[in-house]
Formats: sequence, C-alpha cells, structure tokens
Amino acid sequence: MFSEWSNKTWLRFKAIWKRRQLDRDLNDEAAFHLSMREEKNRLAGIDAEEARYAAQRQFGNATGLKERSREMWTFASLEGFLQDVRLALRMLLKNPGFTAVAVLTLALGVGANTAIFSVINGVLLTPLPYKDPQRIVVMKRNDSLPNVSDILRQTRSFSQSGGINIDNMDYTSGTEPMQVRAGRVNAGFLETLGVPPMLGRIISQEEDVKGGPRFVVLSYPFWQNFLSSDPQVLGKTISLSGNDYTVIGVMPANFVPPREHADVFVSLWVAYPDGASERDVHFMHTYWRLNAGVTLSQAQAEISAMDHRLAELYPDSETDRRTVFLPLQESVTGSVRPALLVLFGAVGFVLLIACANFAGLLMARAVARRQEIGIRTALGAGKSRLIRQALTESVLLAIVGGGAGLLLARLGISLLLSLKPAALDRFSGIHLDAHVLFFVFGISLLTGIVFGIAPAWSVTNVDIAESLKEGARGSTSGQSGNFLRKLLVTAEFALALVLLVGAGLLIKGFSRLRSVSPGFNPQNVMTMHLQLPETRYAKIPRQTQFRVQALERLSALPGVQAAMVMDRPLSTNDVNYRVIVDGDPPVAVGAEPRAQTNSVMGDYFHVMQIPIRAGREFTPLDREGQPLVAIVNEEFVKERLPHRNPIGARIDWARAPDPPRWMTIVGVVADVKDSSLDAPADPAVYTPFPQSEQVWRRWMTLVLRTTGPVPGLVDEVKKQVWSVDSQIPITDILSMEDLMAVSLAQQRFNMLLLALFAVLALILAAVGIYGLMAYSVSQRTHEIGVRLAIGAQRGDVLRLVLRDGARLTLLGIAIGIIAALALTRLMVSLLFEVTPTDPATFAAVAIVLAVTAFAACYIPARRATRVDPMVALRYD
Amino acid sequence: MKEKCENPGDLLQGTLDLLILKALARGTMHGYGVAEWIHQTSEDILKVEEGALYPALHRLELRGLLSAEWGTSDNNRRAKFYSLTAAGKKELAQETEFWRRMSGAVARILQTA
Repeated sequence: MFSEWSNKTWLRFKAIWKRRQLDRDLNDEAAFHLSMREEKNRLAGIDAEEARYAAQRQFGNATGLKERSREMWTFASLEGFLQDVRLALRMLLKNPGFTAVAVLTLALGVGANTAIFSVINGVLLTPLPYKDPQRIVVMKRNDSLPNVSDILRQTRSFSQSGGINIDNMDYTSGTEPMQVRAGRVNAGFLETLGVPPMLGRIISQEEDVKGGPRFVVLSYPFWQNFLSSDPQVLGKTISLSGNDYTVIGVMPANFVPPREHADVFVSLWVAYPDGASERDVHFMHTYWRLNAGVTLSQAQAEISAMDHRLAELYPDSETDRRTVFLPLQESVTGSVRPALLVLFGAVGFVLLIACANFAGLLMARAVARRQEIGIRTALGAGKSRLIRQALTESVLLAIVGGGAGLLLARLGISLLLSLKPAALDRFSGIHLDAHVLFFVFGISLLTGIVFGIAPAWSVTNVDIAESLKEGARGSTSGQSGNFLRKLLVTAEFALALVLLVGAGLLIKGFSRLRSVSPGFNPQNVMTMHLQLPETRYAKIPRQTQFRVQALERLSALPGVQAAMVMDRPLSTNDVNYRVIVDGDPPVAVGAEPRAQTNSVMGDYFHVMQIPIRAGREFTPLDREGQPLVAIVNEEFVKERLPHRNPIGARIDWARAPDPPRWMTIVGVVADVKDSSLDAPADPAVYTPFPQSEQVWRRWMTLVLRTTGPVPGLVDEVKKQVWSVDSQIPITDILSMEDLMAVSLAQQRFNMLLLALFAVLALILAAVGIYGLMAYSVSQRTHEIGVRLAIGAQRGDVLRLVLRDGARLTLLGIAIGIIAALALTRLMVSLLFEVTPTDPATFAAVAIVLAVTAFAACYIPARRATRVDPMVALRYD
Repeated sequence: MKEKCENPGDLLQGTLDLLILKALARGTMHGYGVAEWIHQTSEDILKVEEGALYPALHRLELRGLLSAEWGTSDNNRRAKFYSLTAAGKKELAQETEFWRRMSGAVARILQTA
C-alpha cells in the first residue's frame, strides 16, 4: 500500500517539473488514437472528413478527459493554490498604488517590531554564554571573601561560588605605561561561570591563597592587543603594578564576565591579601551555582538563615545583610529589561495600527471589486474559493510587506545600535538571526490571515443582481464593511493615544532630567583619571608630594584652573562609610548612617563652581599634622545636623580606632550628583587628600576648567603630569559634558524610540482616518450632490463630513485615555519625576491627536464641498 | 491510499479497469490497441466511450499496476505502450477471481425463480 502511494507521489512530483511534457504526452496519446481510428474508418470506406468526425465522436469529450487525466497526474489543490498566487500577483501589479501603500504600511509595522524584537532576542532570550547559566544566581549586594567562603561551606544550596572585584593595575611591559582593568577573583569565580580557558588553565584553589604564586589569566582581547596573540604566551611573565605575574591561561574570545569588564584575572589573595581577609570590606560581585534540584526560593530561604548567623557572629559589620539572590540573566539585563518590554509593547501597538490600516485598505478594495466578484459568483465561483483567493492576496501582501519590513529592520537595528545605549554594550548578539527571521515570517503570515479574513469575508457578501447593474454604487451593501472600518479607525486612535501618552511622559521626564542641576557647572571642564603605582607611592606624604607638584604645574598653564578629586561626580564609583557625629546619642554598632566620602585637593569647589553655603573651602594649610577638617554637603546637614550650626561640629568615621580622630566641619557646600542625575544626592563628606589615612586610595581625578575650548590641552596636561612622574598612566579622559550625556543616555534612548513609535502611530492613524473619510466622501458624492442641489450650503457639507470624523476621533481618544491610564503604570520605572497619569501630558496628547485627525479629515471634507451638484447627480 | 472514486455511480469503472488489465495480459500494447481488443473480444457489446479509456489507463499507471513507455507504432508514429507490472498481474488474478465468484452468485440469484 505504501509503495503504491509513494510511487504515485513520485510520479506526480515528476509531473510538476514536466508540465509541458505532460500536456504534450496527453495530446499525443489522444492524437495517436484519433488518427488510428480515423484511418480504420477510412479503410472501411467512409470518406475522409466523415472518418475524422466519426473518430472524434467515438472518442468523446477530449478536453474533459485530458483535464481528468491531468488532475490525476498533478496535485490539484497545489495547482489551485499556484493559480491563486498568480492571480493575486497580477491583481497587485495592476494596482501599484494600493499595493505600495499596503506594503509600506505593513513594512513600517513589521520593521519596527523586528528591530525591537532582535534586541529583545539578543538581550533577553539568548542564554548567556556560561555553563548552565540558568543555575547561576547573583547576590544583589556585594560581599567579602570570608563571607563567601563561610556561606559556601555552611549552606547546602550551592555547589560553587566565586567573586570578582575590578581594580586598575599598571601594565608596564608594553611600549608605554598604561592601566589595565584587573579582575581580582577567587579561584571559584571562573569555575562557577564554567567557561574553560582557550589556552592553559585557570587559577586553582591551592594557588588562591595568601602568598600564593603570582599567576595571571588573560582575557582574549588583552592577549590579542598587547601580546600579539602569541601562542607561546604560557609561562611568560608580564608586569602588573610593579610585580611580575606568570601567564597560565587565556580565556576564549566570547568570554566576558557577566557584569564587569576585565582585561586580566588575578587571585585576590595573591594581589591584595589585606582586602581578601577583611570580612567587612564588601567589595566583590559574587556568583553562585545552585545545586541540582535547588530552586532560587530554597536558596533564598537558606541564605536568610545564614544572614542571621553571620549577624550574630559579626555584629559590627554583618548586621543588616538582607541578602537577595537574583537569576543571572535578570541581574545582567536588569536595567534594560523594563525599558525593552515597554518598547516591545509600544511597537506591538504600532503593528496593530498598521494592521488596522491594512485591513481598512483591503475592505475598501473589496467594495471596489464588487462588480468583478459579482460576475465571478454568477459564473459559479464558490464562496470558499473566493475567500481563498482574497486571503491569498492578503497573505501575499503581508509577506511582501514583511520582506520590506526586514529591510527596514536592518536599518533600524543599525540606528538603534548607533544610539549606543551603554546598557546594551555587552550584548553582541543583536542581529537578524534565524529566530528573528522566524518571528518576521510568523507575524507577517498572521497579519495576512487575521487581518485578511474580515475583508475576505466581506468580499463574498455580495448581492449578485445588485452588483451586476451597470455602474451600481449601492450605498447599502457596503454598510457592514463601513462599520468595521470605523471600528478599526477608532481602535487606531485609541492605540495611538496610548503610545503618544507614553512618549509624552518620557519626553517630559527627560526634559525634567535634563534640567536637573548636577550641582556644579559642567561647561568647559575636562577630567582625567590618574593612579599612582603602589611600589613608589605607598605612603601618604609621598602621594601628597606628587599631587601638590602636579597641581602647581597644571595651574601654571595659561587659562587653566586645576584641582583634584578622588572620584568625579556622575561616576558610578560609590564609596561610602558610616559616619558618627560628636554629641549624638550612641547608635548600635553597625547601624550608623552612611555618607558618600570623597577627598579633594586644590580649589576643587571653586574650580567646579560648586556653591559654598557656609564656612570655607580647604586651604593648603589643611595638611598632614594639622587639625583634621571636613566639608559636608547640604543633604548631610539636613539629615545629621538639623537645628545645629554645622560649622564647628565634629564628625568621625564609625569604627575608627580609639581614640576618635574627630574632624571639624569647616564648610558646607551645595549637593552634587555623585552617581547619576536621576538619583537624589546622598549625604557627603569631603576631606583633604593630605589628611587621608587610606594609603590604598592612590587614584584621583584631575578636573581642569578652561575659559573656552583649549586645543592641545590634553597633551599639555599629560606633559606636565609626566614631568613630575613619567610612569603615571593617564586614562578616562572625558569632559564633564560627556559624562552628563552618558548619564542621560539610557533615558534618551528610551525617549527617542518611544517618540519615534508614537510619531509612526500618529502618521498611520492619520492615514487611516484620511483613507476612511476620503472613501466615504467618494461613496457619498451622489448624496452630497443632492443635498447641495436642494440648497445645502458648502459649510453644511463641511460640517457633515467633519462631524463623522470627529465622532470617531473623540471616541478613539476616550477609549485611549482609559487604556492609557491602565497601561502607563507599567512604565513607572522609566519615568523621572513624572507620574504615569500626568494630566498635562494626557491633555496635550489628546489635543495633538484631535488636531491631527481634524487635519486628516479636512482634506476630504473640502473635496466634498467642491462637489458639483450637476456632475454628482449624473454620476450615478 | 485508497483510490478516490471520481464517479461513484459509475458501475463500469471497476469493470473497465479489469478489461484493461485483461487486455494487457496478452502483452504490451498502446491505448488504441486496448480499445480495439475490447471491441473485438466483446463483439461490440461493451460500448466504451473510447476517450474514457485513457483516464483509466493513467489511473492504473499511477497505482503502479501498469508501466508505460513511449515508443514507435507499426506505422511509425509516436505512441505510448502499456504493459502489466507484477502488481498488475496480481491485481488481475484477484479481480478475475472476484468477478468469477460475483457473476456466479448473481447468476445463481437470477436462476432462482
């Protein structure tokens, strides 16, 4: 049975490729038969002509029989389908205007969706390139190595754990001194991520101890750029911060730590044993691999118990741990995830609007084709066949639209990536891959079918007799189609309103954010990062000497004001300490409030133009051996010294060695945005560099204010710094205005995209209502003519048409407002100082939409008023 | 795969298939030959619309009961020659047996008064 079937299928397939051959064979076979019969008839004595006719009579309906044979030899349904496609193609080519509008509409919708989907695919859907990434969890807060190893040993949820802390190290084996980002890790870090090295091996547990061998594992880019991809690199040594490290491994090209950027990996116990042993220095990002079968919530329950135990054992550092675990993917995509989901929702709305327009176009066309359909129905075309034909057309259009959308998406993706949202930096997988292509094909097909069905159905609801009347333009048979189109246009306006409100809220939030003062004047300020090597600058006085000399030389440059700060504003470096105030009632150990801490030198507040609210700036006299002084910001005064004169008050770091080293507050300065513009300023304490006790904080940022752009400034600064010490790497050369822009980048990205989608939605909705109104005016030409003939004024006609449009628009706006009130709550995390129900935005958007709709309706309405009654009456 | 029956009411179809198989049991021949053989053997009792022979031939070919080959006829014309396959021979035997029993049964029924 099967072989019979497969044989048949095979013969049929052969017949597809040999269509002509098949036709010829069928003809030849019949012709042969006829000629044989004819000859026999002639031999029987019948005259030639009659012989032929007789043969044909005996043979029967040759065409019908051939048709039956051909059907047998081919896939009849496939043939029908191909025929439908040919017919549809011919129809679409014959109406290039209609085809172009439909394809463009869909291309916009599909293209925007595809671009956003490809980002979502690359960021949220592609698994991270680690071993079993779904079993890796991340601690939300940083932790210390002693805690990490205690937790791993005393809990049962985890099989592995590792931590990393990024620090700059000087790399002096190259042509000029430079800094590399060193991932200071424990042995568990690379093990937990589970990516094997490309060359050599990773640091083992036995080597990850105090005094262990100085081994380094290189990242692929570092190996490529600074060691020329040397395949014999294993066993060679490189110099990092004055120490020789032996290369034992190179990581593969696709390996990047989940949330950090590192050039090299060294053992924390080897590179910085003092930090490694400190339980209270919580400076490591930690990664945890769950044991098989352990869920995140089980791990979370166990860690909470562990937190309590640690708090009991180490009350002064571990009291408020409140450890929270996050899935790896979520922690990596955390900041972009809500934005991407909102954008995906928005772009879905754009597609819906485009689809509504598409359906509207198809319906208008269905009505225009009533006569043709009527004839075909009269000739016996079946309903299902007509629907199939109409659906073939819409699906074909949708697929062509999808293809054009794909081209738009390619443009869109490069546009997206050129906006360079920093949060997307680590995702290299944003491109059109098989998933994305499948997505495009899927939504195109779905669009063609779902939005083609209603128009296809309306095609068949044709009154044959009515449609066949010469020039019939009956106003009755299009009624249900018109209702559907009005529904679609109303929906378009509702959707467009939601998008516009979303965009409006983001724009408002963004402008608020832009007008946020960073607390200093960012114009004409250049910043550079310096780090002093440990080997030569181990002591504070030596560091102070360098700082004083460098500032002296830089300040001598014409037109340049120079100062130093440890961490520049708007950087993500977040160094805070617990601070106690002299005279305050004692607080439980470990519960003292924190304050941002920063060291400065030179006229920092003056150079940055940070207003001084009370007291004075630091002077060169505030140096080592002199009374300890501090400057605090207004937020600190508000929180810690309310109702007190801050000047003269004394503060100290909590848990400082006894006796306390009180610092006297000598000044109060305005609040400065330390981390980002959208975060409120924290309480902050500034101290002079020379009075610092933290010898390990050997880095600083130069801030240089000029009166205008100074060409060659950077080179001049480098020269002056290197004249003090030629071995100091100078990195992160950024103007303060650049940093402002970086701080705004994510919000700018969200706003631009949503605004783009909203504009797209607005245009599509306008096109939609214009199309509907223009169509209904052309349908009602006769009626309008009659009205004019019996005395209606042009203004009446204008009002008549506009009223129709206004009704749809207002209904759409009303529905849209309700939907927006429900939906904008989802984007609250993206908004800055704007409530998701901001009435001003809602009102403004409603007005914009109404005005646009009015303009779109006005053109056809004007046309209606120009109807010549005489022509219109003859028209029908 | 069950053969789809285009004309369910057509009693002759099965018969026609059987006649074709029987004709070709004598050897390879073209469509015209089959038609002639049926005419002569049935002494013109079975009047077949000759064209109807061809869809039947093609159906049998598709079912793998016949094999076909283009060749040259006695009078040097291009013609399609059909012959029975092994499956065709088996089918012929089965169908012949079936007809024998069937016609015997029908005859017996008709003989009873």
